[in-house]
Amino acid sequence: MMWLGIAGLAVPTPTPAAVPGANIFSSPLLLSVIVWVPVIMAIAIATMPNPRGRFDMLMKQIAFFTNVGLVFVLWIAYNQFESFLSTPQFAESQPWLAAIGASYHLGVDGPGMTMLLLSGLIGIVSVLASLGIRERVRSYFCLLLLVQASINGAIVARDMFVLILFWSAAAIPIALLILGWGGPRRNAATWRLVGYWGLGTGALVVATLALYAATGGTSFDMDVLLKVGSVSPRVQVIVGLLVIVAAATRLPLFPFHGWARDLYAEAPIGVTVVVAGTATRLGAYLLLRALVAAEPAAAQLLAPLLAALAALTVGYAALAALRMADIRHSAAHLAMIPGGITVLGLAALSPLSIAGAVFSLFTGGLAAALIVGVCATLAERAQSRSLLVLGGLAPRMPILTWLLIIGGLAVLGVPLLATFPAELMTFFGSFKTQPIGAFAVAAGLAVAAVALAMLLRRVLFGVPNPDAPGVSDASLGESWYLGLLAGALLWVGVFPAGPKLPGTDAPIFDPGLMKTMSAGISELAAPYDLPTPTPASGQ
Amino acid sequence: MKYIALVPEALVAASAVILLVAGRFGWIPAYARRHVPTATAAVVLIALAVELWAGATLGTYFGGGLIQDRFALFAKAAVLLTATIAFAVADWTAEDSLSIALAMPLLAALGVMVAASAGDLVGLWAGLELAATAGVVLVALRRPDLGLRLLLTGAVASGLLLTGLAFVYAWSGTIELVAMRQVLFGGTATLALAIPVFLLLTGLAIRASVAPFHLAGIPSSFGASPLGAGLVLGLVAAAAATVAIKLLAALTPIPDAFSSYLQVIAAVAMVGGGAAALAVRAPRTRIAYLAVGQIGWVAAGLVTHYRAGIAGSLFLLGAFTVAATCGPAVMGRAEGGAMSWAGMGVLRPGRAAGVALAVLSLAGAPPLAGFFGEFAVAAALAQSGHFALLALGLLGSVLSLAAAAATLRLIYVHSPLEEARRGSALPVLTRVSSAGAVAFCAVIALYGLFASPILGLADQGAEALGLR
Repeated sequence: MMWLGIAGLAVPTPTPAAVPGANIFSSPLLLSVIVWVPVIMAIAIATMPNPRGRFDMLMKQIAFFTNVGLVFVLWIAYNQFESFLSTPQFAESQPWLAAIGASYHLGVDGPGMTMLLLSGLIGIVSVLASLGIRERVRSYFCLLLLVQASINGAIVARDMFVLILFWSAAAIPIALLILGWGGPRRNAATWRLVGYWGLGTGALVVATLALYAATGGTSFDMDVLLKVGSVSPRVQVIVGLLVIVAAATRLPLFPFHGWARDLYAEAPIGVTVVVAGTATRLGAYLLLRALVAAEPAAAQLLAPLLAALAALTVGYAALAALRMADIRHSAAHLAMIPGGITVLGLAALSPLSIAGAVFSLFTGGLAAALIVGVCATLAERAQSRSLLVLGGLAPRMPILTWLLIIGGLAVLGVPLLATFPAELMTFFGSFKTQPIGAFAVAAGLAVAAVALAMLLRRVLFGVPNPDAPGVSDASLGESWYLGLLAGALLWVGVFPAGPKLPGTDAPIFDPGLMKTMSAGISELAAPYDLPTPTPASGQ
Repeated sequence: MKYIALVPEALVAASAVILLVAGRFGWIPAYARRHVPTATAAVVLIALAVELWAGATLGTYFGGGLIQDRFALFAKAAVLLTATIAFAVADWTAEDSLSIALAMPLLAALGVMVAASAGDLVGLWAGLELAATAGVVLVALRRPDLGLRLLLTGAVASGLLLTGLAFVYAWSGTIELVAMRQVLFGGTATLALAIPVFLLLTGLAIRASVAPFHLAGIPSSFGASPLGAGLVLGLVAAAAATVAIKLLAALTPIPDAFSSYLQVIAAVAMVGGGAAALAVRAPRTRIAYLAVGQIGWVAAGLVTHYRAGIAGSLFLLGAFTVAATCGPAVMGRAEGGAMSWAGMGVLRPGRAAGVALAVLSLAGAPPLAGFFGEFAVAAALAQSGHFALLALGLLGSVLSLAAAAATLRLIYVHSPLEEARRGSALPVLTRVSSAGAVAFCAVIALYGLFASPILGLADQGAEALGLR
C-alpha cells in the first residue's frame, strides 16, 4: 500500500477520482467556515447564561459538536479536493488593509489540506480529552475553541498578515489554559511558552516585514512575498534565518525547546494534545511555506543548519527521555522527535524527502499527541508521574498499555503505523543530500528506541511497586480519544493512499491522504528537482 | 450650511458649558441625575453622526484658523466615539462630581477636535492646552496633590511648547501650517531648527506621558477617578499625538530635524512601557504603562515621515484613544490594588471582557484594534528601513503581551475574593453601562474587521496633511 502511495507522488493522477461526498456541498466560504465557526461558538459559550454551572455539560457538548461539524465539513472538503491541481483550492480573497497591501486571502493546497485534516481530528480528540474538566468550564472550552480557530486560520492563510494574525493569536488562549488549569509548575510553563513563542512571533514578523520591504512594500500576499526569486539571495538568507527561529520555537527544535517539557508536563491533557498535535506542527509548516518553497537559495545554504538542528533535536530528545524520572517529561521529549524528522525531510531538499516531511506533519502530529496524551492519562490514572513509583502496570491497565506501546512505536516509526511511510520517504530522500544529518537522526532514533524500551519495561512490565497508589485503567472517554489517535495512525499506516476496490483504482470512501497531500508538492519541490540524466542521442 | 461641519464642536462645547453651569448652581434635580450621563452620551453620539455626515465636506473656517479635512474627520470621529462610549460605560458612583466628570472629558474632546482641525500653531496649542487643563481639573477633584503635580509638569511642558513654537515661527516666518510646509521645502536641518523641534517634542512627550517623561501623567492616572484616569491616559495623550502629527507633517520637508529625537522617544516608550507594564501588578497601573508603550508605536510611525507611516500612526491613534480612555472607565469602582480584579470574569463578565480587551488591545494582541494599528506602523517602518526601531517595538510588544496575559489570568483564572480582601467595591451595573461595555468590546474587537475603510480614511487624512 505504501509503495502505491509513493509511486503516486511520482505520477500524479491525471483525473479526479469520483468518491462519495464529492460535489455534494459547495461553499465559497468553506475555509472561512472552518476558521470562524469555532470563534462564533466560543462567543456563544462565553455569553450564554450558566447559573451555578447548570449548563456545564451543554457547553462541553457545544464544543464537541462544533468539532464534529468541522470534521464533517473537512471530510467533504477532503473528498472534493482536486489532488491533480497544484494551485491553492477553496480560495477566498478580499481586500483588507488596502493601504499596506494586506488582504483576507485563504486557500489550501495538498500540505494545507493535510494539516487541516490533522487539526480537525486533534480538535475532536482535545475536546474528548477535556471532558473531565470541572472548574470554570465556560472559560476552558471557550479558550479551547479559540485555539482551534487560530490554528485553522494559520493553516489556511495565504497572506502573511493573516498568517501572523492567527500564528500569534494561538499563544494567548494556550497560555491562559495552562495558567488556569495546569499543574503545580504552571506559572513557569506559561511564561516560558510566552517567552519562546513571543520570540518566534517576533522573528516571523520581522521576516515578513523584511520580505515586504524587499518586494517593494506593496503586498503581504504569499503569492507576492513568497514568490521564488522575488528577493535577493542575501535577503533570502536573513529571512531564512528568521523563519528558522520562528519555526524552531514553535516545533520545537533544539535549542529553542525550553518551553516544551514544562508545557507538556503541566498543561491539562486536552491542551497538551492540541499543542503536540497541531500547534507545534505549524512550525514545520511555516518552514515548508516560507523557506523551502519560497527561498531556494537560502534553503540550500541553510540546509546543513536545518539538518544539524534536526539531528540535535532528535539526539537531545532521545538522551533526555533516557534520563527523565517523570513519565510526562519523558513523553514531552519523545514528542519532539517527529518534529526533528520532519525538519530533516525539509533540510534534505529532494522531492521525496519534502513529500516525506509533509506526510510526517500529519503522522508526527498524531504520534506526538498520542504519546503525550497517553502518558498524561496514565500518570493521572496511576496517581503518580514518577518513574520511581510507577511499575508493573500492564496487567492492571491493559488499554493504556496497548495505547502506550502504539504511541511509542509511532514515534519510532515502525511498519503498519502511519509514521513508517513518512519516515521511510524522509530517510530515502535524505541520505543522498544530507547523509550526515540523516545518519545522526537515525542514530538518535536508535537511542530513542532504547529510551522507549526502558520506559515500557519500567512502567508496564517491571516489578509492581507495593507502595504505589492505586491505579485504574482508562475510562471510556479516555479510551475514545486515545483510540481515535491510535486508530488514525493505524488507518493511514495501512492505507496511506486510501482503500481501493479490489482490482481497481477507485477509492472506497477515503481518497487517500498520500494523494491529497501530493497536490502542490511538485510545485514546492520544483527548485530542487534534480534533472534526470538522459542518454546522449546516437549512442 | 457652510458651518454645519462645526456643529459637533458647538454641541460638545455647549454641553460642557451647560453641565458646568448647571452643576455649579444646582440646576440638576436629584431625580434627573441618573439620566444626565445617558443624555450627554446621546448628545455626543449626535455630534458623531453629524461629523460623519457633514465632516466629509472639505472647508476652511475663520480665515484658515480651522480646516475641515479628512485628517480632522478621522480624529474628530475617533474622539467623539471615544467620549460616547466612555460616558455610556462609566461607573458614575465612582466619580466625585457628576457635572465636572461629564464636562471635563467633553472639554478634552473639544481640545482634540480643535487641534485636529487647527490650521496654525495657535490652534494646535490651544487645543492641547484645553485638553490638558481638563485633565488637571478632573485629577485634582479627587487628588489635589496629584493635580498640582500635573499642573506644574504641564506648565513646564507648556513652556517648552511655547518656546519651541515661537522659535519655529521665527525660523519659518509664519504660523500657518501649510505655509510653513511650503517655506521649509528645500531647506536643511540647522541647529536653529533642531533646538525648537527638540523643545517641541519634549513638551509633547510630557503632555502624552511618554516614558521617560511620564512622572506626572502616569501617577496622576493612578489616583484619579476612573474617567479622570482615562482622560489623562487617553484623551490628553491623543491631543498631544494629534498636535505632533500635524506639526511633524509641516516639518516633513526637513525630516532630519526631528527624526533622531523621535526615534529615541519611540524606542524608550515602546520598550519602557512594556517593561514597566510587566513590573507592576494593579490592572489600572498596567493599563497606564501599556498605553505608554502604544503611544510609543504612534511616535514610531511618525519617524517614517511619509504618508503610509503617518496613516498607520493615525489608524493606531484611533484604536489607542478608545482603549486608553475607556479602559479605566470600564473598571469603574474596582480600582484598588493588584487583587481588585481577581475573578472579575465571574463577578462582572461584561466589564471584565471590556478590561481584558482594553489591556490586550493596548498590548497589541491579535486580532484586536491595537494589533492592526501596530502592524500598520510596523509595515511602514519596514518600508522605510527602520528595522532597529521595529525590532525594539517588537520587544516592547512581547513584554506588553506578557503583562496583558498576567492581567487576564487575574481576571479569568483567579478565583473571586470576598469584598474585604478585594480592597474595592464591585462596579455598579446599569443597563446603559452594560450596553456601553458591549459597545466598547465590539469596537475593540471589530476595529480590525472594518480596518479597510478606517485605514483608508486615515490614509486620506495623511494625504490631507500634504504627505506623499
